[in-house]
Amino acid sequence: MSIIEVIDLKRDYHTDLGILKREKKTVNALNGISFSVEKGEIFGLLGPNGAGKTSTIKILTTLLAPTAGQATVLGYKCFGEEKKLRKKINFIFGGERSLYWRLSAWDNLSYFCDLYSVDEKIKKKRIEKLLELVGLSDKAHYKVETFSKGMKQRLQIARGMVNDPEVLFLDEPTIGLDPSGAKTLRDIIRLLSREGKTILLTTHYMHEADELCNRIAVIDKGRIIALDEPCKLKAFMNETTLEDAYLKMIVGE
Amino acid sequence: MKNMLRVVYSSCLLQMKQSFSRSMFRFSIIIYPILFAWTMYLIYEGQDNSMLVSYVMLGTAVATMWGSISFSSAGDIDRERFMGALEVIFCCPARFSTIMMGKVIGNTILGFFSMVLSFAFVIIFLKVRFTVANPLYFCLSVVIGMISLVMVAMLLSALLAISRSTRVIMNSMEYPVLIFCGTVFPIDILPVWTRPLSFTLSPTYILKLCRESIEGISDFGVFYTYLLGLITVTLIYYILYKWFYTVIDIKARKEATLEVV
Repeated sequence: MSIIEVIDLKRDYHTDLGILKREKKTVNALNGISFSVEKGEIFGLLGPNGAGKTSTIKILTTLLAPTAGQATVLGYKCFGEEKKLRKKINFIFGGERSLYWRLSAWDNLSYFCDLYSVDEKIKKKRIEKLLELVGLSDKAHYKVETFSKGMKQRLQIARGMVNDPEVLFLDEPTIGLDPSGAKTLRDIIRLLSREGKTILLTTHYMHEADELCNRIAVIDKGRIIALDEPCKLKAFMNETTLEDAYLKMIVGE
Repeated sequence: MKNMLRVVYSSCLLQMKQSFSRSMFRFSIIIYPILFAWTMYLIYEGQDNSMLVSYVMLGTAVATMWGSISFSSAGDIDRERFMGALEVIFCCPARFSTIMMGKVIGNTILGFFSMVLSFAFVIIFLKVRFTVANPLYFCLSVVIGMISLVMVAMLLSALLAISRSTRVIMNSMEYPVLIFCGTVFPIDILPVWTRPLSFTLSPTYILKLCRESIEGISDFGVFYTYLLGLITVTLIYYILYKWFYTVIDIKARKEATLEVV
């Protein structure tokens, strides 16, 4: 059984336009995508802005309800069986958000451990281990607002690991990081994969996807236009780099 | 149950640490009550002591408690949304309503501190005599009143989680309480048609009960009617908040209202 199973998934957003004469507008973010992810795999979702990558991740992490289709993670429906699922997954959105900036790194992790019912006996050790993993042990009691962008993103990784999730969702985890910070994050992702975590990530950095992902799905306008191993995608498009292959698929260059 | 209490405690602690680290919040719970009490004192200066207790002490206490509990709870949802933390806490295994309860209790404790501070300022610096004729009934009124305000804050937090117009709702909440609940002047001077509105808001009952128990309860029938009224509106707030939280669990995910747009 696949760890993540997505079948004909659709998601629409409704917005109102105009002030006096209200007009309803529907945006089809996902137009029936299907894919599956196996245990221990690093699966990449690539696509231009607005392609539907974040909507997919949000549905899989129980944050959004699908309009139609099926999405299951670890055999649980993402909409309907979220209570069973939430304990076993976690997610990290790129950027500096999703943390309490006025609290210390330790306080942040401690709070999220409590929200995930991490046993008090193992909580301290786990926080220490996670801070060491992301290289923030010496900054444990510093307020997050004093951290650099890279440090905040590393702390986000630690936050995403507080419940020792079986599946980890990463939405553009290295966005805005300097090369050294991005490399550190990629090393952490590889380490987590070696530990048997299933990882689904989105990124705009093609070399990163090429380096990390076992398989890649390219999404455009809410549809999957290609899905395969990076080397096969390159070979199929007759290109030497994933970036060239991707551009050929998206803009036909 | 143990996990639930741990989430409430942890969220309460986080809330207090976070709130206290904000200079604006420190101003709201330390300086604002003092300024409010002083303003009220200047308005009511020269009146008898019972008027000073009613409007300077109790008015300030309810206004600051209301501000701290409701206003801060609303602001927190907004802050959490902008920090991206609303999504994270919404889809963790702990129930969203349990997390919010912890945060609201955190605000209540800070609000209580603020209330005590304003009482101390009025007694020490403005020399207003504070004696309670029926201390037991006063304590009962304060405790039920606090529970009622927690329920209001929970109700508001649910509304704010599904609405992106958080700031509008937040800013339109303060004056109805000051005007319609008898916080700064008696509601008897308001047009009769406003009374039903006054009696849907728990601060109206809280103020009446506290004033009666401070001055001495002359008619226990009237006191118990107000107490029953307070318990009834609190129960209504409770039922509505429980219902709202079941609704928002689905609505927020269908309409994607947890994120900043």
